[in-house]
Amino acid sequence: MSEPSTPEIRALTDQLAAADVEQRAAAAERLAQAGESAAGAAPQLVRACGDDDERVREWAVAALEDLGPPSRAAIDPLIKLATDPDPLAAYWAITLLGRSGQDASSAVTVLTTCVESSSADPSVRQRAAWALGQIGPAAAAARAALERAAGQQDPRLARLATEALAAIGS
Amino acid sequence: MAKKKAKKPPSSSASLVWMAFTTIASLIGGGGVTGWLKPDMPVLGPGVAALGSSLGSSLGFTGSTESTAALATGPATARAAVPAERLAAAPTPAPPLASIAYAPAAAALRPVTAMPSASPPPPAGPLPAGPPAAPAQAVLSAPPTAKPSDAVLIASFNIQVFGEAKLAKPQVVDVLARVVRTFDIVAIQEVRAKSDSVIPTFVAAVNADGSRYHHVIGPRQGRTVSKEQYTFIYDTNRIEIDPTSVGSMRDPADRLHRPPMYARFRVRTSPPELGFSFWMIDTHTDPDEVPQEVDALADVFTVIRSARPDEDDVILLGDLNAGPPQFGRIKQIPGVAWAISGVTTNTRRTKTYDNLIFDRTATGEYTGRWGVVDLQNTFGLSIDKALEVSDHNPVWAAFSPWELRPPLQAATAPRDASR
Repeated sequence: MSEPSTPEIRALTDQLAAADVEQRAAAAERLAQAGESAAGAAPQLVRACGDDDERVREWAVAALEDLGPPSRAAIDPLIKLATDPDPLAAYWAITLLGRSGQDASSAVTVLTTCVESSSADPSVRQRAAWALGQIGPAAAAARAALERAAGQQDPRLARLATEALAAIGS
Repeated sequence: MAKKKAKKPPSSSASLVWMAFTTIASLIGGGGVTGWLKPDMPVLGPGVAALGSSLGSSLGFTGSTESTAALATGPATARAAVPAERLAAAPTPAPPLASIAYAPAAAALRPVTAMPSASPPPPAGPLPAGPPAAPAQAVLSAPPTAKPSDAVLIASFNIQVFGEAKLAKPQVVDVLARVVRTFDIVAIQEVRAKSDSVIPTFVAAVNADGSRYHHVIGPRQGRTVSKEQYTFIYDTNRIEIDPTSVGSMRDPADRLHRPPMYARFRVRTSPPELGFSFWMIDTHTDPDEVPQEVDALADVFTVIRSARPDEDDVILLGDLNAGPPQFGRIKQIPGVAWAISGVTTNTRRTKTYDNLIFDRTATGEYTGRWGVVDLQNTFGLSIDKALEVSDHNPVWAAFSPWELRPPLQAATAPRDASR
Protein backbone atom coordinates (compact mmCIF):
# COMPACT_ATOMS: atom_id res chain seq x y z
CA MET A 1 0.00 0.00 0.00
CA SER A 2 1.04 3.54 -0.63
CA GLU A 3 2.83 5.99 1.62
CA PRO A 4 0.84 8.76 3.33
CA SER A 5 0.38 11.85 1.19
CA THR A 6 2.72 14.75 1.63
CA PRO A 7 1.35 18.27 2.17
CA GLU A 8 2.18 19.06 -1.46
CA ILE A 9 0.22 16.06 -2.72
CA ARG A 10 -2.71 16.97 -0.50
CA ALA A 11 -2.65 20.52 -1.82
CA LEU A 12 -2.58 19.31 -5.41
CA THR A 13 -5.39 16.88 -4.65
CA ASP A 14 -7.53 19.76 -3.41
CA GLN A 15 -6.54 21.77 -6.46
CA LEU A 16 -8.01 19.08 -8.73
CA ALA A 17 -11.45 20.30 -7.64
CA ALA A 18 -10.73 23.98 -8.32
CA ALA A 19 -13.26 25.95 -10.32
CA ASP A 20 -10.52 27.31 -12.57
CA VAL A 21 -9.65 24.82 -15.31
CA GLU A 22 -6.04 26.01 -15.51
CA GLN A 23 -5.65 25.22 -11.82
CA ARG A 24 -7.10 21.75 -12.32
CA ALA A 25 -4.92 21.05 -15.35
CA ALA A 26 -1.79 22.20 -13.52
CA ALA A 27 -2.65 20.02 -10.54
CA ALA A 28 -3.23 16.95 -12.69
CA GLU A 29 0.06 17.50 -14.49
CA ARG A 30 1.99 17.87 -11.25
CA LEU A 31 0.39 14.74 -9.86
CA ALA A 32 1.37 12.86 -13.03
CA GLN A 33 4.94 13.94 -12.44
CA ALA A 34 4.81 12.76 -8.84
CA GLY A 35 4.66 9.08 -9.75
CA GLU A 36 3.72 6.65 -7.01
CA SER A 37 3.89 9.34 -4.35
CA ALA A 38 0.58 10.66 -5.70
CA ALA A 39 -1.22 7.48 -4.63
CA GLY A 40 -3.13 9.34 -1.94
CA ALA A 41 -4.91 11.28 -4.67
CA ALA A 42 -6.30 8.17 -6.33
CA PRO A 43 -10.06 8.79 -5.94
CA GLN A 44 -9.74 12.43 -6.93
CA LEU A 45 -7.69 11.52 -10.00
CA VAL A 46 -10.32 8.98 -10.99
CA ARG A 47 -12.99 11.67 -10.73
CA ALA A 48 -10.78 13.94 -12.83
CA CYS A 49 -11.09 11.41 -15.66
CA GLY A 50 -14.57 12.83 -16.12
CA ASP A 51 -13.41 16.44 -16.28
CA ASP A 52 -14.69 18.54 -19.15
CA ASP A 53 -11.17 19.60 -20.05
CA GLU A 54 -9.06 17.22 -22.15
CA ARG A 55 -5.81 18.27 -20.50
CA VAL A 56 -7.14 17.44 -17.07
CA ARG A 57 -8.34 14.05 -18.27
CA GLU A 58 -5.11 13.13 -20.03
CA TRP A 59 -2.88 14.16 -17.15
CA ALA A 60 -5.15 12.34 -14.71
CA VAL A 61 -4.84 9.18 -16.79
CA ALA A 62 -1.07 9.60 -16.92
CA ALA A 63 -0.98 9.97 -13.15
CA LEU A 64 -3.15 6.91 -12.64
CA GLU A 65 -0.96 4.78 -14.89
CA ASP A 66 2.03 5.35 -12.65
CA LEU A 67 0.24 5.43 -9.32
CA GLY A 68 0.72 1.89 -8.16
CA PRO A 69 -1.76 0.47 -5.64
CA PRO A 70 -3.94 2.98 -3.80
CA SER A 71 -4.15 3.38 -0.04
CA ARG A 72 -6.64 1.23 1.90
CA ALA A 73 -8.58 4.35 2.71
CA ALA A 74 -9.20 4.78 -1.01
CA ILE A 75 -10.90 1.40 -1.46
CA ASP A 76 -14.42 2.47 -0.49
CA PRO A 77 -14.42 5.63 -2.64
CA LEU A 78 -13.08 3.59 -5.53
CA ILE A 79 -15.85 1.01 -5.10
CA LYS A 80 -18.37 3.81 -5.53
CA LEU A 81 -16.54 5.10 -8.60
CA ALA A 82 -16.46 1.64 -10.21
CA THR A 83 -20.02 2.18 -11.43
CA ASP A 84 -19.49 5.80 -12.45
CA PRO A 85 -21.41 6.60 -15.65
CA ASP A 86 -18.20 7.91 -17.18
CA PRO A 87 -16.50 4.79 -18.62
CA LEU A 88 -13.03 6.25 -18.21
CA ALA A 89 -13.58 6.96 -14.53
CA ALA A 90 -15.08 3.51 -13.97
CA TYR A 91 -12.22 1.87 -15.86
CA TRP A 92 -9.62 3.52 -13.66
CA ALA A 93 -11.48 2.92 -10.42
CA ILE A 94 -11.62 -0.77 -11.29
CA THR A 95 -7.98 -0.79 -12.32
CA LEU A 96 -6.93 0.61 -8.96
CA LEU A 97 -9.09 -1.93 -7.15
CA GLY A 98 -7.34 -4.65 -9.10
CA ARG A 99 -3.95 -3.26 -8.14
CA SER A 100 -5.02 -3.54 -4.51
CA GLY A 101 -5.28 -7.31 -4.85
CA GLN A 102 -6.90 -9.08 -1.97
CA ASP A 103 -7.14 -5.81 -0.06
CA ALA A 104 -10.01 -5.00 -2.43
CA SER A 105 -12.01 -8.10 -1.53
CA SER A 106 -14.86 -5.84 -0.47
CA ALA A 107 -15.15 -4.82 -4.12
CA VAL A 108 -16.04 -8.29 -5.38
CA THR A 109 -19.77 -7.62 -5.53
CA VAL A 110 -19.49 -4.41 -7.53
CA LEU A 111 -16.85 -5.88 -9.80
CA THR A 112 -19.09 -8.87 -10.46
CA THR A 113 -21.88 -6.49 -11.39
CA CYS A 114 -19.55 -4.74 -13.81
CA VAL A 115 -18.56 -8.00 -15.48
CA GLU A 116 -22.20 -8.95 -15.92
CA SER A 117 -23.36 -5.57 -17.19
CA SER A 118 -23.99 -5.95 -20.89
CA SER A 119 -24.60 -2.23 -21.14
CA ALA A 120 -21.24 -1.32 -19.68
CA ASP A 121 -18.37 -0.22 -21.89
CA PRO A 122 -16.35 -3.27 -23.02
CA SER A 123 -13.22 -1.82 -21.45
CA VAL A 124 -15.01 -1.66 -18.08
CA ARG A 125 -16.27 -5.24 -18.24
CA GLN A 126 -12.84 -6.51 -19.29
CA ARG A 127 -11.05 -4.62 -16.56
CA ALA A 128 -13.50 -5.88 -13.95
CA ALA A 129 -12.73 -9.47 -14.95
CA TRP A 130 -9.04 -8.68 -14.69
CA ALA A 131 -9.50 -7.07 -11.27
CA LEU A 132 -11.32 -10.10 -9.91
CA GLY A 133 -8.38 -12.21 -10.97
CA GLN A 134 -6.04 -9.87 -9.13
CA ILE A 135 -8.10 -10.26 -5.96
CA GLY A 136 -7.70 -14.00 -6.30
CA PRO A 137 -9.35 -16.60 -4.06
CA ALA A 138 -11.18 -13.88 -2.12
CA ALA A 139 -13.21 -13.31 -5.28
CA ALA A 140 -14.69 -16.81 -5.26
CA ALA A 141 -18.21 -15.38 -5.18
CA ALA A 142 -17.65 -14.08 -8.70
CA ARG A 143 -16.97 -17.54 -10.12
CA ALA A 144 -20.34 -18.04 -11.79
CA ALA A 145 -20.27 -14.61 -13.42
CA LEU A 146 -16.76 -15.20 -14.65
CA GLU A 147 -17.72 -18.58 -16.09
CA ARG A 148 -20.43 -16.87 -18.09
CA ALA A 149 -18.01 -14.15 -19.17
CA ALA A 150 -15.52 -16.80 -20.26
CA GLY A 151 -18.05 -17.89 -22.85
CA GLN A 152 -18.60 -14.41 -24.29
CA GLN A 153 -17.68 -13.57 -27.87
CA ASP A 154 -15.44 -10.68 -26.77
CA PRO A 155 -12.08 -12.48 -26.94
CA ARG A 156 -10.41 -10.26 -24.39
CA LEU A 157 -13.24 -10.53 -21.89
CA ALA A 158 -13.33 -14.31 -22.34
CA ARG A 159 -9.58 -14.61 -21.88
CA LEU A 160 -9.43 -12.38 -18.81
CA ALA A 161 -12.37 -14.20 -17.24
CA THR A 162 -10.66 -17.52 -17.84
CA GLU A 163 -7.46 -16.21 -16.29
CA ALA A 164 -9.40 -14.84 -13.33
CA LEU A 165 -11.05 -18.21 -12.75
CA ALA A 166 -7.63 -19.81 -12.70
CA ALA A 167 -6.39 -17.23 -10.20
CA ILE A 168 -9.41 -17.72 -7.95
CA GLY A 169 -9.05 -21.48 -8.01
CA SER A 170 -11.62 -24.11 -7.24
CA MET B 1 19.75 -3.66 -51.95
CA ALA B 2 22.33 -5.93 -50.51
CA LYS B 3 21.16 -9.45 -50.06
CA LYS B 4 20.31 -9.91 -46.44
CA LYS B 5 21.60 -12.50 -44.11
CA ALA B 6 19.89 -15.85 -44.06
CA LYS B 7 16.59 -15.65 -42.28
CA LYS B 8 15.91 -17.90 -39.35
CA PRO B 9 12.72 -19.91 -39.21
CA PRO B 10 10.11 -18.21 -37.04
CA SER B 11 8.91 -19.87 -33.91
CA SER B 12 5.26 -20.74 -33.81
CA SER B 13 2.77 -18.31 -32.39
CA ALA B 14 -0.38 -20.30 -32.83
CA SER B 15 -2.50 -18.22 -30.52
CA LEU B 16 -2.03 -15.10 -32.59
CA VAL B 17 -3.16 -14.32 -36.08
CA TRP B 18 -1.13 -11.40 -37.21
CA MET B 19 -2.28 -10.58 -40.71
CA ALA B 20 -0.74 -7.29 -41.64
CA PHE B 21 2.41 -8.78 -42.94
CA THR B 22 0.84 -11.29 -45.22
CA THR B 23 -0.52 -8.32 -47.08
CA ILE B 24 2.79 -6.55 -47.11
CA ALA B 25 4.61 -9.64 -48.26
CA SER B 26 2.18 -10.10 -51.10
CA LEU B 27 2.59 -6.48 -52.13
CA ILE B 28 6.31 -6.72 -52.15
CA GLY B 29 6.33 -9.99 -53.96
CA GLY B 30 9.70 -11.62 -54.05
CA GLY B 31 11.21 -9.16 -51.70
CA GLY B 32 13.04 -7.14 -54.25
CA VAL B 33 14.11 -3.58 -53.93
CA THR B 34 10.89 -1.67 -53.91
CA GLY B 35 9.36 1.16 -52.09
CA TRP B 36 12.23 3.18 -50.69
CA LEU B 37 10.91 6.64 -50.36
CA LYS B 38 12.72 9.44 -52.06
CA PRO B 39 14.56 11.16 -49.25
CA ASP B 40 13.18 14.58 -50.03
CA MET B 41 9.57 13.50 -49.98
CA PRO B 42 7.82 14.13 -46.70
CA VAL B 43 5.68 11.44 -45.20
CA LEU B 44 3.48 13.24 -42.78
CA GLY B 45 1.27 11.94 -40.06
CA PRO B 46 -2.08 11.98 -41.81
CA GLY B 47 -0.33 10.54 -44.81
CA VAL B 48 0.13 7.27 -42.99
CA ALA B 49 -3.58 6.77 -42.73
CA ALA B 50 -3.99 7.77 -46.33
CA LEU B 51 -1.20 5.46 -47.32
CA GLY B 52 -2.96 2.63 -45.60
CA SER B 53 -6.20 3.35 -47.34
CA SER B 54 -4.48 3.54 -50.69
CA LEU B 55 -2.99 0.12 -50.14
CA GLY B 56 -6.23 -1.36 -48.97
CA SER B 57 -7.86 -1.83 -45.63
CA SER B 58 -6.05 -5.08 -45.02
CA LEU B 59 -3.03 -3.13 -43.86
CA GLY B 60 -4.93 -2.38 -40.72
CA PHE B 61 -4.82 1.40 -40.63
CA THR B 62 -7.66 2.85 -38.68
CA GLY B 63 -6.72 6.52 -38.48
CA SER B 64 -8.73 9.24 -40.09
CA THR B 65 -7.89 10.42 -43.53
CA GLU B 66 -7.48 14.07 -44.31
CA SER B 67 -7.54 16.19 -47.38
CA THR B 68 -4.27 15.31 -49.02
CA ALA B 69 -2.77 15.04 -52.43
CA ALA B 70 -1.58 11.61 -53.48
CA LEU B 71 1.74 11.26 -55.22
CA ALA B 72 3.52 8.26 -56.65
CA THR B 73 6.73 7.38 -54.88
CA GLY B 74 9.00 6.11 -57.55
CA PRO B 75 8.92 2.51 -58.66
CA ALA B 76 6.74 1.31 -55.81
CA THR B 77 3.09 0.74 -56.43
CA ALA B 78 2.20 2.34 -53.12
CA ARG B 79 1.26 5.97 -53.06
CA ALA B 80 2.06 8.17 -50.11
CA ALA B 81 -0.35 11.00 -49.61
CA VAL B 82 1.12 14.24 -48.40
CA PRO B 83 -0.18 17.76 -48.21
CA ALA B 84 0.50 19.57 -51.44
CA GLU B 85 1.99 22.60 -49.76
CA ARG B 86 4.61 20.45 -48.06
CA LEU B 87 5.55 18.86 -51.34
CA ALA B 88 6.08 22.24 -52.87
CA ALA B 89 8.34 23.16 -49.99
CA ALA B 90 10.32 19.96 -50.07
CA PRO B 91 14.03 20.67 -49.82
CA THR B 92 16.56 19.40 -52.28
CA PRO B 93 17.91 15.95 -51.62
CA ALA B 94 20.81 15.73 -49.24
CA PRO B 95 23.93 13.77 -50.05
CA PRO B 96 23.98 10.19 -48.79
CA LEU B 97 25.81 9.10 -45.71
CA ALA B 98 29.04 8.11 -47.36
CA SER B 99 29.68 11.60 -48.63
CA ILE B 100 28.13 13.83 -46.02
CA ALA B 101 30.24 15.85 -43.63
CA TYR B 102 29.05 16.20 -40.08
CA ALA B 103 29.82 19.66 -38.88
CA PRO B 104 30.22 20.44 -35.20
CA ALA B 105 27.21 22.72 -35.61
CA ALA B 106 25.11 19.60 -35.71
CA ALA B 107 25.88 19.03 -32.05
CA ALA B 108 22.73 18.91 -30.03
CA LEU B 109 23.65 17.52 -26.66
CA ARG B 110 26.60 17.86 -24.42
CA PRO B 111 27.68 14.55 -23.03
CA VAL B 112 27.55 14.41 -19.28
CA THR B 113 30.29 11.86 -19.29
CA ALA B 114 31.99 9.79 -21.89
CA MET B 115 29.79 7.34 -23.69
CA PRO B 116 30.64 3.70 -23.19
CA SER B 117 33.38 3.09 -25.67
CA ALA B 118 32.94 0.90 -28.69
CA SER B 119 33.73 -2.68 -27.97
CA PRO B 120 33.79 -5.94 -29.88
CA PRO B 121 30.33 -7.40 -30.28
CA PRO B 122 29.47 -9.58 -27.33
CA PRO B 123 28.08 -13.05 -27.86
CA ALA B 124 24.39 -13.62 -28.25
CA GLY B 125 22.31 -13.12 -25.17
CA PRO B 126 21.90 -10.25 -22.77
CA LEU B 127 24.46 -7.56 -23.30
CA PRO B 128 26.79 -6.51 -20.57
CA ALA B 129 25.57 -3.71 -18.38
CA GLY B 130 28.52 -1.50 -19.07
CA PRO B 131 31.82 -1.44 -17.26
CA PRO B 132 31.09 -3.20 -13.99
CA ALA B 133 33.40 -1.03 -11.93
CA ALA B 134 32.16 2.23 -13.39
CA PRO B 135 29.79 4.48 -11.50
CA ALA B 136 26.24 4.79 -12.78
CA GLN B 137 27.04 8.04 -14.54
CA ALA B 138 29.36 6.22 -16.87
CA VAL B 139 26.39 4.74 -18.65
CA LEU B 140 23.91 7.53 -18.07
CA SER B 141 25.36 9.36 -20.97
CA ALA B 142 24.49 11.32 -24.03
CA PRO B 143 25.55 10.09 -27.44
CA PRO B 144 28.34 11.86 -29.33
CA THR B 145 28.02 15.60 -29.75
CA ALA B 146 27.81 15.19 -33.51
CA LYS B 147 26.30 12.32 -35.41
CA PRO B 148 29.07 9.88 -36.19
CA SER B 149 29.85 8.87 -39.74
CA ASP B 150 30.48 5.29 -38.69
CA ALA B 151 27.17 4.66 -36.93
CA VAL B 152 23.51 5.47 -36.93
CA LEU B 153 21.94 6.34 -33.61
CA ILE B 154 18.51 4.90 -32.90
CA ALA B 155 16.54 6.01 -29.88
CA SER B 156 13.31 5.40 -28.01
CA PHE B 157 11.65 8.15 -26.05
CA ASN B 158 8.40 8.04 -24.09
CA ILE B 159 7.34 11.68 -24.03
CA GLN B 160 4.69 11.66 -21.33
CA VAL B 161 1.37 13.10 -22.56
CA PHE B 162 2.89 14.65 -25.66
CA GLY B 163 0.12 17.02 -26.71
CA GLU B 164 -0.74 20.66 -27.17
CA ALA B 165 -0.02 21.58 -23.56
CA LYS B 166 3.55 20.34 -23.81
CA LEU B 167 4.03 22.07 -27.15
CA ALA B 168 2.98 25.32 -25.51
CA LYS B 169 6.09 25.24 -23.29
CA PRO B 170 9.00 26.59 -25.37
CA GLN B 171 11.66 25.39 -22.96
CA VAL B 172 10.25 21.87 -23.11
CA VAL B 173 10.05 21.89 -26.89
CA ASP B 174 13.64 23.11 -27.03
CA VAL B 175 14.86 20.16 -25.00
CA LEU B 176 12.77 17.69 -26.97
CA ALA B 177 14.02 19.10 -30.27
CA ARG B 178 17.62 18.92 -29.16
CA VAL B 179 17.13 15.32 -28.14
CA VAL B 180 15.64 14.39 -31.51
CA ARG B 181 18.40 16.16 -33.46
CA THR B 182 20.93 13.99 -31.68
CA PHE B 183 19.58 10.80 -33.22
CA ASP B 184 18.92 9.44 -36.67
CA ILE B 185 15.60 7.87 -35.76
CA VAL B 186 13.55 8.36 -32.61
CA ALA B 187 10.65 6.05 -31.81
CA ILE B 188 8.28 8.09 -29.68
CA GLN B 189 5.50 6.85 -27.45
CA GLU B 190 2.61 8.68 -25.76
CA VAL B 191 1.51 11.20 -28.34
CA ARG B 192 -1.82 12.14 -26.77
CA ALA B 193 -3.75 14.76 -28.65
CA LYS B 194 -7.04 15.12 -30.42
CA SER B 195 -5.35 17.41 -32.92
CA ASP B 196 -3.26 16.01 -35.77
CA SER B 197 -0.99 19.04 -35.72
CA VAL B 198 1.13 18.22 -32.66
CA ILE B 199 3.81 16.14 -34.35
CA PRO B 200 4.00 18.22 -37.57
CA THR B 201 4.41 21.31 -35.41
CA PHE B 202 7.06 19.62 -33.32
CA VAL B 203 8.97 18.38 -36.37
CA ALA B 204 8.93 21.93 -37.70
CA ALA B 205 10.55 22.99 -34.43
CA VAL B 206 13.16 20.26 -34.80
CA ASN B 207 13.91 21.49 -38.32
CA ALA B 208 14.13 25.12 -37.28
CA ASP B 209 17.91 24.82 -37.30
CA GLY B 210 17.98 23.53 -40.87
CA SER B 211 17.64 19.88 -40.02
CA ARG B 212 15.61 17.70 -42.35
CA TYR B 213 13.58 15.41 -40.16
CA HIS B 214 10.34 13.83 -41.27
CA HIS B 215 7.92 11.60 -39.45
CA VAL B 216 5.37 8.88 -39.77
CA ILE B 217 2.65 8.48 -37.19
CA GLY B 218 0.27 5.68 -36.35
CA PRO B 219 -3.42 5.65 -35.51
CA ARG B 220 -4.75 6.49 -32.07
CA GLN B 221 -4.58 3.35 -29.95
CA GLY B 222 -6.16 2.37 -26.67
CA ARG B 223 -9.17 0.63 -25.20
CA THR B 224 -10.62 3.71 -23.54
CA VAL B 225 -11.31 7.19 -24.81
CA SER B 226 -7.80 8.09 -23.71
CA LYS B 227 -5.71 7.18 -26.77
CA GLU B 228 -2.06 7.31 -27.68
CA GLN B 229 -0.15 7.39 -30.94
CA TYR B 230 3.28 6.16 -31.87
CA THR B 231 5.52 8.12 -34.19
CA PHE B 232 8.90 7.65 -35.82
CA ILE B 233 10.85 10.85 -36.45
CA TYR B 234 13.86 10.34 -38.71
CA ASP B 235 16.64 12.38 -40.27
CA THR B 236 16.19 12.27 -44.02
CA ASN B 237 19.79 13.30 -44.50
CA ARG B 238 20.79 9.85 -43.28
CA ILE B 239 17.70 7.65 -43.28
CA GLU B 240 15.08 6.67 -45.84
CA ILE B 241 11.81 4.88 -45.22
CA ASP B 242 10.01 2.17 -47.16
CA PRO B 243 6.52 3.65 -47.47
CA THR B 244 5.00 0.27 -48.19
CA SER B 245 6.19 -0.93 -44.81
CA VAL B 246 4.44 1.39 -42.40
CA GLY B 247 1.56 0.13 -40.29
CA SER B 248 0.18 -1.07 -37.02
CA MET B 249 -0.03 -4.64 -35.86
CA ARG B 250 -3.44 -6.19 -36.14
CA ASP B 251 -4.36 -7.88 -32.91
CA PRO B 252 -7.61 -9.80 -33.30
CA ALA B 253 -7.27 -11.44 -29.90
CA ASP B 254 -6.83 -8.03 -28.30
CA ARG B 255 -3.70 -8.95 -26.38
CA LEU B 256 -2.09 -5.54 -26.57
CA HIS B 257 -3.58 -2.33 -25.23
CA ARG B 258 -1.76 -0.30 -27.86
CA PRO B 259 -0.79 -2.52 -30.80
CA PRO B 260 2.73 -1.63 -31.91
CA MET B 261 3.55 0.47 -34.95
CA TYR B 262 6.14 -0.80 -37.37
CA ALA B 263 8.12 0.66 -40.25
CA ARG B 264 11.14 -0.33 -42.27
CA PHE B 265 14.07 2.00 -42.68
CA ARG B 266 17.38 2.03 -44.48
CA VAL B 267 20.50 4.06 -43.90
CA ARG B 268 21.32 6.31 -46.81
CA THR B 269 24.68 5.23 -48.13
CA SER B 270 26.52 5.41 -51.39
CA PRO B 271 25.76 3.09 -53.03
CA PRO B 272 22.31 2.90 -51.46
CA GLU B 273 22.05 -0.88 -51.78
CA LEU B 274 24.67 -1.36 -49.10
CA GLY B 275 22.88 0.60 -46.40
CA PHE B 276 21.76 -1.10 -43.21
CA SER B 277 18.03 -1.81 -43.48
CA PHE B 278 15.83 -2.88 -40.62
CA TRP B 279 12.37 -3.06 -39.19
CA MET B 280 11.51 -0.96 -36.18
CA ILE B 281 8.64 -1.80 -33.84
CA ASP B 282 7.48 0.96 -31.53
CA THR B 283 5.66 -0.22 -28.42
CA HIS B 284 4.22 0.94 -25.11
CA THR B 285 2.86 -1.77 -22.86
CA ASP B 286 -0.03 -1.54 -20.42
CA PRO B 287 1.57 -1.33 -16.97
CA ASP B 288 -1.18 -3.51 -15.50
CA GLU B 289 -0.70 -6.39 -17.94
CA VAL B 290 3.04 -6.44 -18.47
CA PRO B 291 3.67 -10.21 -18.42
CA GLN B 292 0.93 -10.92 -20.95
CA GLU B 293 1.91 -8.04 -23.22
CA VAL B 294 5.60 -8.82 -23.12
CA ASP B 295 4.81 -12.36 -24.23
CA ALA B 296 2.64 -11.00 -27.04
CA LEU B 297 5.54 -8.78 -28.10
CA ALA B 298 7.66 -11.89 -28.50
CA ASP B 299 5.14 -13.00 -31.10
CA VAL B 300 5.18 -9.56 -32.73
CA PHE B 301 8.95 -9.74 -33.02
CA THR B 302 8.80 -13.19 -34.59
CA VAL B 303 6.06 -12.27 -37.04
CA ILE B 304 7.82 -9.15 -38.22
CA ARG B 305 11.09 -10.95 -38.63
CA SER B 306 9.40 -13.38 -40.98
CA ALA B 307 7.49 -10.72 -42.93
CA ARG B 308 10.05 -10.40 -45.71
CA PRO B 309 12.55 -12.99 -46.87
CA ASP B 310 15.14 -10.31 -47.47
CA GLU B 311 14.94 -8.59 -44.09
CA ASP B 312 16.01 -10.19 -40.86
CA ASP B 313 16.93 -7.12 -38.82
CA VAL B 314 14.24 -6.20 -36.32
CA ILE B 315 14.58 -3.63 -33.56
CA LEU B 316 11.77 -3.72 -31.02
CA LEU B 317 11.96 -0.61 -28.87
CA GLY B 318 9.87 1.46 -26.54
CA ASP B 319 8.47 1.65 -23.05
CA LEU B 320 7.96 -1.94 -21.96
CA ASN B 321 7.16 -1.11 -18.34
CA ALA B 322 9.54 -3.96 -17.65
CA GLY B 323 13.22 -4.55 -17.25
CA PRO B 324 15.16 -7.52 -18.60
CA PRO B 325 14.17 -9.82 -15.68
CA GLN B 326 10.54 -9.39 -16.76
CA PHE B 327 11.10 -10.02 -20.47
CA GLY B 328 9.34 -13.40 -20.33
CA ARG B 329 9.07 -15.13 -23.70
CA ILE B 330 11.11 -12.42 -25.38
CA LYS B 331 14.11 -13.98 -23.70
CA GLN B 332 13.30 -17.28 -25.36
CA ILE B 333 13.78 -15.88 -28.86
CA PRO B 334 17.07 -17.38 -30.08
CA GLY B 335 19.83 -14.81 -30.15
CA VAL B 336 17.77 -12.06 -28.58
CA ALA B 337 19.59 -9.30 -26.74
CA TRP B 338 18.79 -5.88 -25.38
CA ALA B 339 20.84 -2.75 -25.30
CA ILE B 340 19.84 -1.25 -21.95
CA SER B 341 20.74 -3.13 -18.81
CA GLY B 342 21.83 -2.31 -15.31
CA VAL B 343 20.72 1.32 -15.41
CA THR B 344 17.48 3.16 -14.84
CA THR B 345 15.59 4.78 -17.68
CA ASN B 346 12.96 6.90 -15.98
CA THR B 347 13.59 10.49 -15.05
CA ARG B 348 13.37 9.73 -11.34
CA ARG B 349 16.03 7.04 -11.80
CA THR B 350 14.04 4.31 -10.13
CA LYS B 351 12.99 1.97 -12.97
CA THR B 352 14.38 0.31 -16.08
CA TYR B 353 11.38 0.46 -18.38
CA ASP B 354 12.73 1.45 -21.80
CA ASN B 355 14.87 -0.63 -24.11
CA LEU B 356 15.93 -1.66 -27.59
CA ILE B 357 15.63 -5.38 -28.32
CA PHE B 358 17.02 -7.24 -31.32
CA ASP B 359 18.46 -10.55 -32.43
CA ARG B 360 22.14 -10.21 -31.73
CA THR B 361 23.10 -12.94 -34.17
CA ALA B 362 21.07 -11.47 -37.03
CA THR B 363 21.74 -7.82 -36.29
CA GLY B 364 25.50 -7.88 -36.26
CA GLU B 365 25.29 -4.21 -37.19
CA TYR B 366 24.92 -3.38 -33.50
CA THR B 367 28.11 -1.68 -32.44
CA GLY B 368 27.87 -2.40 -28.72
CA ARG B 369 27.40 1.29 -27.95
CA TRP B 370 24.30 2.34 -26.06
CA GLY B 371 23.18 4.81 -23.48
CA VAL B 372 20.50 6.64 -21.57
CA VAL B 373 20.25 10.41 -21.95
CA ASP B 374 19.77 11.71 -18.44
CA LEU B 375 17.54 14.72 -19.08
CA GLN B 376 18.28 16.31 -15.75
CA ASN B 377 22.06 16.22 -16.02
CA THR B 378 22.39 16.62 -19.76
CA PHE B 379 20.34 19.80 -19.90
CA GLY B 380 21.11 21.09 -16.42
CA LEU B 381 17.50 20.84 -15.28
CA SER B 382 16.01 20.50 -11.85
CA ILE B 383 14.10 17.29 -11.33
CA ASP B 384 10.83 19.20 -11.63
CA LYS B 385 11.87 20.79 -14.91
CA ALA B 386 13.12 17.47 -16.24
CA LEU B 387 9.78 15.91 -15.36
CA GLU B 388 8.07 18.63 -17.34
CA VAL B 389 9.88 17.24 -20.37
CA SER B 390 8.99 13.63 -19.58
CA ASP B 391 8.96 11.03 -16.87
CA HIS B 392 11.20 8.89 -19.10
CA ASN B 393 14.73 9.48 -20.34
CA PRO B 394 15.57 8.68 -23.97
CA VAL B 395 17.46 5.43 -24.51
CA TRP B 396 19.59 4.72 -27.55
CA ALA B 397 21.89 2.30 -29.32
CA ALA B 398 24.34 2.66 -32.20
CA PHE B 399 24.40 0.50 -35.33
CA SER B 400 26.69 0.25 -38.32
CA PRO B 401 25.38 2.14 -41.35
CA TRP B 402 26.38 -0.78 -43.58
CA GLU B 403 24.36 -3.91 -44.07
CA LEU B 404 26.36 -6.94 -43.05
CA ARG B 405 26.45 -9.73 -45.56
CA PRO B 406 26.24 -13.34 -44.49
CA PRO B 407 29.67 -14.86 -43.91
CA LEU B 408 29.23 -17.44 -46.65
CA GLN B 409 28.24 -14.86 -49.20
CA ALA B 410 31.09 -12.59 -48.25
CA ALA B 411 33.55 -15.43 -48.55
CA THR B 412 32.37 -16.46 -52.01
CA ALA B 413 31.74 -13.07 -53.57
CA PRO B 414 34.07 -11.97 -56.36
CA ARG B 415 36.83 -9.94 -54.85
CA ASP B 416 36.13 -6.79 -56.84
CA ALA B 417 32.44 -6.91 -56.01
CA SER B 418 33.09 -6.15 -52.40
CA ARG B 419 35.03 -2.99 -53.09
